[in-house]
Amino acid sequence: MNSETSLIMVFISLAIVNNLVLIKFLGICPYLGVSKRVDMAFGMGCAVTFVITISGTVTWLINNLILQKIGMGYLKYIAFIMVIASMVQLVEMYVRKFFPSLYESFGIFLPLITTNCAILGTCLFIDLWDFTFLQAVVASFGGGLGFTLVICMMGGIREHLEWADVPKALKGAGITLITAGIMTLAFMGFSGMI
Amino acid sequence: MICSGTIVLHNILAGFSISSIGIAGVTLLAVGMVFVIILTIANAKLKVQQDPTVEAIMNILPGANCGGCGLAGCGAYAEAVVKDHGLMGKCGPGGEATVGEIAAILGIEAEASAPVRAVVHCSAKTDDQINTVIYHGVKSCAEAQMVEGVIDCPYGCLGFGDCADACEFAAIDIDQGLAIIKYDNCVGCGACVQTCPRRLIELLPMREDPLMIIACSSLDKAKNVRGYCKVGCVGCRLCVKLAPNMFRMEQSLAVIDYEKYSDKEERDKAQQKCPRSLMIYVGKKSES
Repeated sequence: MNSETSLIMVFISLAIVNNLVLIKFLGICPYLGVSKRVDMAFGMGCAVTFVITISGTVTWLINNLILQKIGMGYLKYIAFIMVIASMVQLVEMYVRKFFPSLYESFGIFLPLITTNCAILGTCLFIDLWDFTFLQAVVASFGGGLGFTLVICMMGGIREHLEWADVPKALKGAGITLITAGIMTLAFMGFSGMI
Repeated sequence: MICSGTIVLHNILAGFSISSIGIAGVTLLAVGMVFVIILTIANAKLKVQQDPTVEAIMNILPGANCGGCGLAGCGAYAEAVVKDHGLMGKCGPGGEATVGEIAAILGIEAEASAPVRAVVHCSAKTDDQINTVIYHGVKSCAEAQMVEGVIDCPYGCLGFGDCADACEFAAIDIDQGLAIIKYDNCVGCGACVQTCPRRLIELLPMREDPLMIIACSSLDKAKNVRGYCKVGCVGCRLCVKLAPNMFRMEQSLAVIDYEKYSDKEERDKAQQKCPRSLMIYVGKKSES
């Protein structure tokens, strides 16, 4: 397998086959919390994609060039969290400056990207699967895009659900979780593709 | 025992070496410093210019986000009041102190504004009502309002306390089928006004404390009022004769014109003469 094919494989693997939300069950909190409207979901997806991509890249560099070299692999959790927190701060400043209305609608979920396990999860998967640098960049970007794809799909479905005749007992969180479950079943169809 | 314990401790300590702890610390410190520098630069470049007056006003507002001002919350109110100074007196929970502080921040004189408070235009407790039926339905004003003749008075307080439930500040008590405002708690947010299906509660500026109100809303003629209530306004016009400036008639109901609310002597005379003792004083300093 040459390197380009492997990059494409890594991308599809993280974006669809091993989708962070639906297959790895990471980052469920913003997935359910910020998916009421497609535009908000897309904004959240973009923010998470940005943070994952930068964090995945930077953590690979820190892990492989510093921590592994000096035999301090056990520091990676602390170092990764530090990278992610800093990146989220950066995104928060950026969004506040250029998209004030988006900043308002995100509310607490924007700073909460810091504790979004999808991001730390991706960084740790990249370490676990021994990716090369390029693969790490592509994998983290793919993971972010996969998150965006799924949260936007969820946003679209929930916009339609507003008008649907949902039984009273299932209104709100109930039907959303059922929807999420059915989406997971659909994504299971991709497993074994790679 | 002591000996083996010491050996275990010694083995644990041997696992650490001072230098490795040092390297770990320095590494994390170095990585952290890099991000500190990046974030400091970003903070300087991406600083949001927020109007300092808005921030200052936001800080002195009570932060109850009650929406009494008619805006989405304290943040929205702070922004609006900077643009439109006329909104200054709208903050019910803050009261006059807040108005003064906002005025100081905006650099203008605050005109004496009276805070609005809720008043109930009914004084008929269960014993004062003359009812032909007894209602055993759902204990909610909104539901009871659907029933014809739940109490005989079509205007009076139903007393199931929808207003008390709506009040965020525990400022309404139901006493023998009548809503009583506790002025120590009331902030004038108007949640009760929205809730009352009979529109009995009104927000009035408390020009004076205590403030005189007419505790009845019945527009019916005397004959009907006497039929269903022992304390309702019968429209005898005595108050209008005694204090023609302050009182006026609205169908068969006396109402106070608060624009001309001034002459204490006149209104006290009217209060004494009123055959139904309808004029009551409400407010923090009222006796009841």
